[in-house]
Amino acid sequence: MAVVNVTHLTYHYAHQSKPVLNDLNVTFPTGKFSLLTGASGGGKSTLLKLMAGLMPLSDTGTITYDGRPWSSIPAGQRSQTVAMLFQEPSLQFTMDTVENECRFVLENLQVDPATMPDRIAASLAFIGITALRHRNLMTLSGGEQQKVALAIIVAMDSDVILLDEPFASIDPIARQVLLDKLVALCTDHGKTIVLADHDLSGYAEWVDHLAVLEHGQVNLLSPSETQARFANFTPAKLAIHPAMPRPTNPIVLQGSQIRLYQGDRDLIKPQNLAFYEHKTTLITGPNGSGKSTLFRALVRLGHYQGTFNYHETNIQKIRQRRYARQVSLMFQTAAAQFLNVTVAEELALSLKYGRTKDFPSERIDQLLERLDLSGRHDQVLYSLSSGQQKKLQLLCMLIMAPPVLLLDEPFKGLDLASVTTVVAILREIQAEFKLTLILVSHQLSGLDDLVDYHLQLDHQHLQYVGVFHES
Amino acid sequence: MNPSLKLAWVVLLALELSFTQVWTVNVVLIVICLALMIWRRVAIKRLLWLTGVPLFFASALVWSLTLQGSASHHFLIVIFTRMFVYVYLGGLFTQTTDPLTLTRSLEQNAHLPAKFAYGFLAAFNLMPKIKAEVASIKAAALMRGQVLHVWSPQLYFKAILTAMHWSDQLSLAMVSHGFVEGAPRTHAAVIPLRHRDWWLTGGSLVLIQVGLFIGLP
Amino acid sequence: MKAWHLRDIILVTILAIFMGVIFFVIGPVYTILSAALAPAGLQPLANEILLGIWVMAGPLAGFIIRIPGAATLGELLGAVVEMFLGGVWGASTLISGVVQGFGSELGFILTGYKRYNWLTLVISALTTTIVTFTWSLFKEGYASYHLGFLAMLFTVRFISVFLFGGVLTKLITNLLSRAHVVKNVR
Ligand SMILES: Nc1ncnc2c1ncn2[C@@H]1O[C@H](COP(=O)(O)OP(=O)(O)OP(=O)(O)O)[C@@H](O)[C@H]1O
Ligand SMILES: Nc1ncnc2c1ncn2[C@@H]1O[C@H](COP(=O)(O)OP(=O)(O)OP(=O)(O)O)[C@@H](O)[C@H]1O
Ligand SMILES: [Mg+2]
Ligand SMILES: [Mg+2]
Repeated sequence: MAVVNVTHLTYHYAHQSKPVLNDLNVTFPTGKFSLLTGASGGGKSTLLKLMAGLMPLSDTGTITYDGRPWSSIPAGQRSQTVAMLFQEPSLQFTMDTVENECRFVLENLQVDPATMPDRIAASLAFIGITALRHRNLMTLSGGEQQKVALAIIVAMDSDVILLDEPFASIDPIARQVLLDKLVALCTDHGKTIVLADHDLSGYAEWVDHLAVLEHGQVNLLSPSETQARFANFTPAKLAIHPAMPRPTNPIVLQGSQIRLYQGDRDLIKPQNLAFYEHKTTLITGPNGSGKSTLFRALVRLGHYQGTFNYHETNIQKIRQRRYARQVSLMFQTAAAQFLNVTVAEELALSLKYGRTKDFPSERIDQLLERLDLSGRHDQVLYSLSSGQQKKLQLLCMLIMAPPVLLLDEPFKGLDLASVTTVVAILREIQAEFKLTLILVSHQLSGLDDLVDYHLQLDHQHLQYVGVFHES
Repeated sequence: MNPSLKLAWVVLLALELSFTQVWTVNVVLIVICLALMIWRRVAIKRLLWLTGVPLFFASALVWSLTLQGSASHHFLIVIFTRMFVYVYLGGLFTQTTDPLTLTRSLEQNAHLPAKFAYGFLAAFNLMPKIKAEVASIKAAALMRGQVLHVWSPQLYFKAILTAMHWSDQLSLAMVSHGFVEGAPRTHAAVIPLRHRDWWLTGGSLVLIQVGLFIGLP
Repeated sequence: MKAWHLRDIILVTILAIFMGVIFFVIGPVYTILSAALAPAGLQPLANEILLGIWVMAGPLAGFIIRIPGAATLGELLGAVVEMFLGGVWGASTLISGVVQGFGSELGFILTGYKRYNWLTLVISALTTTIVTFTWSLFKEGYASYHLGFLAMLFTVRFISVFLFGGVLTKLITNLLSRAHVVKNVR
């Protein structure tokens, strides 16, 4: 049980002109679920890291837990006071299997080995993942990994739980399950929870006062303002209305008897699969069902059985260098796409090798402006916030304008305003250069205008869903 | 056998045999390693690989020593068998030791600080991710019109940045999972260090010394 | 002196694995080169040509982490990775790892862990070549080669270590320092 108090907190990154957090004051009450939101690059991750004691406080300000500053809590008790669940699911484990990781954590807390098995069993059961106990962590899907991470926090019995966009790559169903568990931790176990998220769906019941981080400060919204924000994320707003592809549509990529697998487990059973030219196709499916695996196969980064033809030619027969610029992938992690040091260099690289020279610098500046990235020419890419990186990554790939562009979670970590802008830009450039877009996304708000077709991955089978149109 | 002692045994032997020239001892060790690996049910495919590789490289080395040097027959046999000893010792160790048990043993028996033991382990568990990342870096560059070679600074630059990002994340995660440098920890699994292990290690090392002494020309 | 912290330990290990994997990706190159050179009795030349890539983990770790022992640990861990991946030198890779790592560490020792620039890398390349070559004299029986051949092997090794451990490493650290992730290097 702990109340978290942040007072007069100012934080300034080196090499930055303005402070990110500026005389910030906020209180997160005991046993409450607090939701933190705010524009990309507003400083949410920074605040959470400071609260978790993962970065030293720099300028001024204090953060206390039940009145005690983090630094005065003995090192051995800190993780039981505050624990953090990270955005990137796969980078938070030390050991190989779920059980070993739980043991490692309990060893750290100097728990008596004799009591470990029961404690581990209880926390896995609480989250509902008893079946995963002996699984290898690396072979779990992102959603499962987040559940394991949460079970570990339960096992540690930490008072304050901080979560930085924990659902960014989690499918809606797993998201709901996790959210229910979190709420149970608050209401039944008196834990204090602070969660940062852009996607506000599913919170309306639990959150009275939305905390918004802007201009370096946190404002608590009134109940009516809070509900107004949530209204953008009601199921009706998330609905998309795709059509069924018609047999006469030209096909750009045709797979025959495609089978995808991981080890000896089938992800997609042999099937034929067509992608249609100049259209936008959305692929959805649960975590770990094989969407990224499909993309990796399409760009020849992964193994598969069967054949894929690109305009009638087997993709394995096209020269790798040529093919890479016909069918390109926007990777799930933005940083994987970058090759240079600064924003300007990265844009210059795309301009140099892009399919068209039709991007005068005024147009680039204007696009940057719309994406709220202007004035960052000389900033080091890797110091951009996760949302800023995502937007820049998208811009770079659109300048390349490959005939077929695969996008893996392009809206991950973007606020609603950014999603709207990004969708508008995607549509413009798609129309201009006649691109074929194939995208994987768990978050559906704002996508209705973009998506032509919807491919659903379910029970190891990919299938188009939608309504039949006349025209 | 205790993993830390086994590691010490393997390294000591490999070191010693690099400076000695008794091929009979090499052959005896080859036979022992092979027998132990068969006894511990190392897959036959693995054994063939462990034999094929040194066969090629040892032959190539001996051949070049013959053409370009003035080595005696005796020395050539020593070099040839030595390569097999290296690979078999390495194979015996990696095929019969589980990294987690080794880590625990290094922490508990060899008193390696826990930050080293678990820091190494956490990173080793990322191996599959790292392999995929190297492929991704090259592919991402191709999609932007650039070809990365082993001599391209960008390939390493990207790899290092990724390494830095991952190590930041992992170490933060470990800390938030309660790991404190230098703090005492309990042990869910105790790795035994028996008298038998010491006798076995010591005894076999002495025997090998005797063998080396007798085998001296 | 800076001490080892958890983050540095994980970093040096991941770095070593990356280098090991990159080396393994070019693994076929090594085998092909060896096979091509073997009939003429020139197989060791394949080693020498590619050695520079293999020992790069040392200077890179030394440059990035800047803690005494970083270069040695980086190489040693690289060797552990290679052994677990099933490299061609088996258990001796561990010893070679220490030897190679110590070779590049000497370069940093000689500059007192204070200077991180060109000079450090050139010295490090030189010490690496000398130390590892001495080790090869014993382990791979280089001592019984004719002198001329030996001199050629030494020269090729130095060039390789200089190009990869020196020039390339410098280019990489330039990028890193521009990205503000390592302290400025002159
Ligand atoms: N290490 C760093 N060095 C310099 N600037 C940084 C660093 N980390 C973050 N920033 C800057 O600080 C600001 C806040 O970043 P932060 O990651 O906290 O934002 P955020 O609110 O979490 O955004 P997002 O919703 O996109 O994740 C951004 O403008 C970012 O560019
Ligand atoms: N290197 C690997 N080794 C073993 N299993 C793996 C590996 N990479 C992925 N997997 C497994 O393959 C399955 C499919 O993974 P994939 O990343 O394609 O899922 P996804 O549909 O993209 O999920 P998400 O929505 O979480 O991104 C998952 O169960 C995953 O754990
Ligand atoms: Mg963030
Ligand atoms: Mg995915």
